[in-house]
Amino acid sequence: MIELFTYDFMQRSLLAAAMVGGLCSVVGVFVVLRGLAFVGAGTAHAAFAGVALGYLMGWPPLVLAIIFGLATVWITGWVEEKGRMKLDVSIGILYTTTMALAILFIGLMKTYNAEVYGYLFGSVLSVTSDELRIIGGLSVLVLGLIVLFSKELYFIAFDQEMAEASGVPARRIFFLLLTLVALTVVVSLKTVGAILVFAMILIPASTAYQLTSSLRTLTLYSIVIGVTTAVAGVVISATWDVPSGPAIVLLATTVFFISVLFSPKRMKRAVQVHAH
Amino acid sequence: MSDSLEPIIRFDHASFGFPGVIALKDISLSINAGEFVGVIGPNGSGKTTLCRAILGLMAPVEGHLHIFDCACDALRCHHRAKIGYLPQKGVVDRNFPVTVLETVMMGRYGALGLFTRPGAKDRAIAMEALSHVEMDKHKDTALGHLSGGQQQRVFIARALAQQPKVLLLDEPTTGLDMTAQHNVIELIEHLHDELRLTIVLITHDINMIRSRVDRLVLLKTRLFASGPPAEVLKPDILSQVYGKDLVITDKDFIIVEDYHHHH
Ligand SMILES: Nc1ncnc2c1ncn2[C@@H]1O[C@H](COP(=O)(O)OP(=O)(O)OP(=O)(O)O)[C@@H](O)[C@H]1O
Ligand SMILES: [Mg+2]
Repeated sequence: MIELFTYDFMQRSLLAAAMVGGLCSVVGVFVVLRGLAFVGAGTAHAAFAGVALGYLMGWPPLVLAIIFGLATVWITGWVEEKGRMKLDVSIGILYTTTMALAILFIGLMKTYNAEVYGYLFGSVLSVTSDELRIIGGLSVLVLGLIVLFSKELYFIAFDQEMAEASGVPARRIFFLLLTLVALTVVVSLKTVGAILVFAMILIPASTAYQLTSSLRTLTLYSIVIGVTTAVAGVVISATWDVPSGPAIVLLATTVFFISVLFSPKRMKRAVQVHAH
Repeated sequence: MSDSLEPIIRFDHASFGFPGVIALKDISLSINAGEFVGVIGPNGSGKTTLCRAILGLMAPVEGHLHIFDCACDALRCHHRAKIGYLPQKGVVDRNFPVTVLETVMMGRYGALGLFTRPGAKDRAIAMEALSHVEMDKHKDTALGHLSGGQQQRVFIARALAQQPKVLLLDEPTTGLDMTAQHNVIELIEHLHDELRLTIVLITHDINMIRSRVDRLVLLKTRLFASGPPAEVLKPDILSQVYGKDLVITDKDFIIVEDYHHHH
């Protein structure tokens, strides 16, 4: 098993998994706290429709994924801001529309294209050095913006209206967060796939949520869980020859359920109930 | 007493609304620095809208609003930071992972502006705000583990951490038990005396604030009265706004007479 790590492809995929795992888990903190979980899922499918259109027309798939992803989050954010529709309704409509488009684009392709399916289910073991550079670059960009605006992002996640009222440019920060979600989804698309990227965003942060009552600790736990499960998932995938995406996500889900069982928040509640 | 001071909030025939709804109509009102103003009015009378207007979250559809000598359509973030705001009680997500000190530190964020990290000075300001509301012992407690009254104190501390010139409180005692209500009002009175803050306090509890405020403002979409409590709390004025069942007892308590007594 040790010799596995000497292969170039293995080093590349471990690095990709670590970066994607870290990125998703940090963005996931704000997604979970701000209640944008469903937006992550919708964006993933929109980005996938972009990829499908790219392959159909012979345009660069990642560029179209970014365009589709950004269009989805911005429309969603705009609709929520106007207060015309609940967020889950508008994203539900966009989600199904983009999924229908993706199926349409794939149907229009003359031949079966395995690469497109790679974006649906993820193929971290086949990540190339070029892709690694793109993932690395976008990760640095997204994480840099999060560090730069972390205090504002925490504030709008807690209470956007209060943030606005106390002099934080909350609406612009909210759109920044939506943009970061879209970029994260696109970065992760090739590695974990459109279906599972949502889990990579959601699960580490939700797991950390069970374990702490402090924002700082929450972020830290989320990163540790995200990176560890992503890397361990790749190792499991390579060792036992199982698909990487499901390996990562099922591992993370297991950690999640263990954390629910041993959650201090839950324990405290149980103690309170007994005391009454 | 404060009439000689310059107004820091001035509504000039200002109207505010939402699509299809006029929430405040033709309001002319000045609030002076250091004043303690109580705002009363029935549900839907535009009290919360008045707060949102003062914060510059809504621009007037007619008329003008000046805050700190700044026309409100030009109101920028750094003006908002000078107004400490306690919103009308929403539901606090008890599971939200935030400690008391982290909550109060958020009050610093608007004043600090983008790209500036809170430092030791901001921490000291937040701790001072917490000691004003006597919650400093709980700084590391999870916000969700506090009672409603304690949470309200923490949110007041967050407003104080902005080092505001004006404190805007939207029904701070709603949902609290009688002791907690009393304590919060005493705290606000104390902050007014001690920090010389301008206070705009919205409440339904006329009896609790009537002896404490400099001025009462009575709203029902329009401004019905504004003046010392004794001048505003007259049966003929109140009945215009609250209907005829309102009576003032011989002990100066305002109650709504039981409708069924007439039958
Ligand atoms: N977001 C909104 N969209 C449309 N109309 C609104 C909105 N918020 C308030 N209104 C309307 O504006 C009017 C004033 O509402 P406001 O919340 O200011 O009343 P209030 O005096 O604070 O009432 P309460 O005592 O119940 O808190 C009401 O008629 C209300 O229906
Ligand atoms: Mg209100």
